[in-house]
Amino acid sequence: MSARLLRFFGGGRTVPPPASAPVARERLQILLAHERSSRGQPDLLVLLRDEILAVVSRHVTLDPDKVIVKMDRGETVSTLEVDIELPNGFERMIAAAG
Amino acid sequence: MIMGATAEPVRQQVRLRGRSYVAFVFCPVVPIVGWLEEIDATLARSPGFFVGKPVVLDLSAVELSQSAIAHLVTSLEGRNIRVLGIEGVEPAHVTASMPPLLTGGRHCVIQQDKPEKPAAKPKPTSLLLDSPVRSGQSIIFADGDVTVLGSVSSGAEIVAGGSIHIYGTLRGRAMAGVNGNPAARIYCQKIEAELLAIDGYYQTAEQIDASVRNGPAQAWLEGDVMKITPLN
Amino acid sequence: MAKVLVVTSGKGGVGKTTSTAALGAALAQRGEKVVVVDFDVGLRNLDLVMGAERRVVFDLINVVQGVAKLSQALIRDKRLENLWLLPASQTRDKDALTDEGVGTIIEELRTKFDWILCDSPAGIERGATLAMRYADEAVIITNPEVSSVRDSDRIIGMLDSKTVKAEKGEQVKKHVLITRYDTARAARGEMLTIEDILEILATPLLGIIPESQDVLRASNVGSPVTLNNAGSAPARAYTDAARRLMGETITMLVPVERKGLMNRLLGRRAA
Repeated sequence: MSARLLRFFGGGRTVPPPASAPVARERLQILLAHERSSRGQPDLLVLLRDEILAVVSRHVTLDPDKVIVKMDRGETVSTLEVDIELPNGFERMIAAAG
Repeated sequence: MIMGATAEPVRQQVRLRGRSYVAFVFCPVVPIVGWLEEIDATLARSPGFFVGKPVVLDLSAVELSQSAIAHLVTSLEGRNIRVLGIEGVEPAHVTASMPPLLTGGRHCVIQQDKPEKPAAKPKPTSLLLDSPVRSGQSIIFADGDVTVLGSVSSGAEIVAGGSIHIYGTLRGRAMAGVNGNPAARIYCQKIEAELLAIDGYYQTAEQIDASVRNGPAQAWLEGDVMKITPLN
Repeated sequence: MAKVLVVTSGKGGVGKTTSTAALGAALAQRGEKVVVVDFDVGLRNLDLVMGAERRVVFDLINVVQGVAKLSQALIRDKRLENLWLLPASQTRDKDALTDEGVGTIIEELRTKFDWILCDSPAGIERGATLAMRYADEAVIITNPEVSSVRDSDRIIGMLDSKTVKAEKGEQVKKHVLITRYDTARAARGEMLTIEDILEILATPLLGIIPESQDVLRASNVGSPVTLNNAGSAPARAYTDAARRLMGETITMLVPVERKGLMNRLLGRRAA
């Protein structure tokens, strides 16, 4: 009887959430590594975007608004994603020019 | 987003066009000194009337030497009247540094828009604020009483020539009677003031007696001593 | 009709960025299309609290300067598709953020979103004044503590004078959101009471957010607390606040100490 009473009062502990501090530490390490290395330099991403666009524009007319640049900075590898919306028939345009 | 070649700057051609304007014409008469005094009297009545208005000097009624003309233009400039052009003189009398010689002016009627005398508004003798006075705000009204429908926050101040009436809690600074009015008073529904002053005599928060806090109170001057008493 | 809402306080460290993220996520969870904009100049925080710090490409000042289009700078949240972020700039040039530039961006954001939440920096300098300049509504974050209350009062005064709405003779709709409400200290009478705060600020109450470890945990993992732990006390309080912003009438709950059953029986207080 008393054992059941104790269980009623003291049992059913909730599972504590996984510690969040290690996640925070890892995020900060990655972020600060990137920020420290890029401090004081002209914005690399802007340069990259403009140069990539210049290259593509040599072959086809582009709408600057149809270009989206995305970035994901990782611990060992970062991904740069450049999304360019090309007008239909661009292959013909390039073939005609070439 | 800059791409592609830079364009050649387009060369603008200089275009000369004609336009006519209506100008005020001053016709000085001798003696010039007397005429300038008349100008001064006009300016005293309506200061700045000629500022920004194109003014032409018609010197046909007088015989002025070159230096006299230069002196006259300078005298007018000293009165903030800028001469746009001169007419009625021999070209020889006008130098390059003077306003240009004008000819072919046509007579016309100038619409005198008299600067409107604003209907003499009766000067307000009391200021009403219908919202609380926030920290950092400063209300200064030298001409009379100030009434606040709301509280006066810590970090705010009210400065009045007359009395100050606060229908709320006074937590900031209140300075009444600032223009030498020792009869001014400060009234509030709750006194937690940082500073009170009447006609220069002031009390800070620590000097305010605990017995008057937390209820309606008034502050007033008896001689050179500020009294703060409950209002009940 | 799009609503521009500034989250401001005057005082630093009271919970503006946390609240912007939490309210933004709560509104998005209810189907609204929301963008949160970081108005700090030189210090970027909102992206960190939202968990988007690794994906920032272009920022508010890049858009003001025409280096990037708005669509190129906006970052979509990976968890809620209606929630977007416009990050702050890390530049040291305070003058780069201009009134006209911000005005143009706000106008463009109005055409794309239901809610534009502007996360104001602390203080009363350019970032803070520009964050509030185009606001229709304001949430003034206040801690139950004297200097926070006085700074909030100052900010309320500025909302009534330095905004486009105030200059047109209209009112910015203001709400006070009390954050970091410590239930234990309240129980011991060691904290400014809610009534005191409201009496001093004379502004309607939007909600009371209890001090809680859940807020810290959420920011550690980069997720707004209303997303990370929706059942927690602060999350529920933020959700109620968001619903009040949307016009719902919800009874205001004052957070109370939650004593464990055992401790309550023994008359002991929770730590």
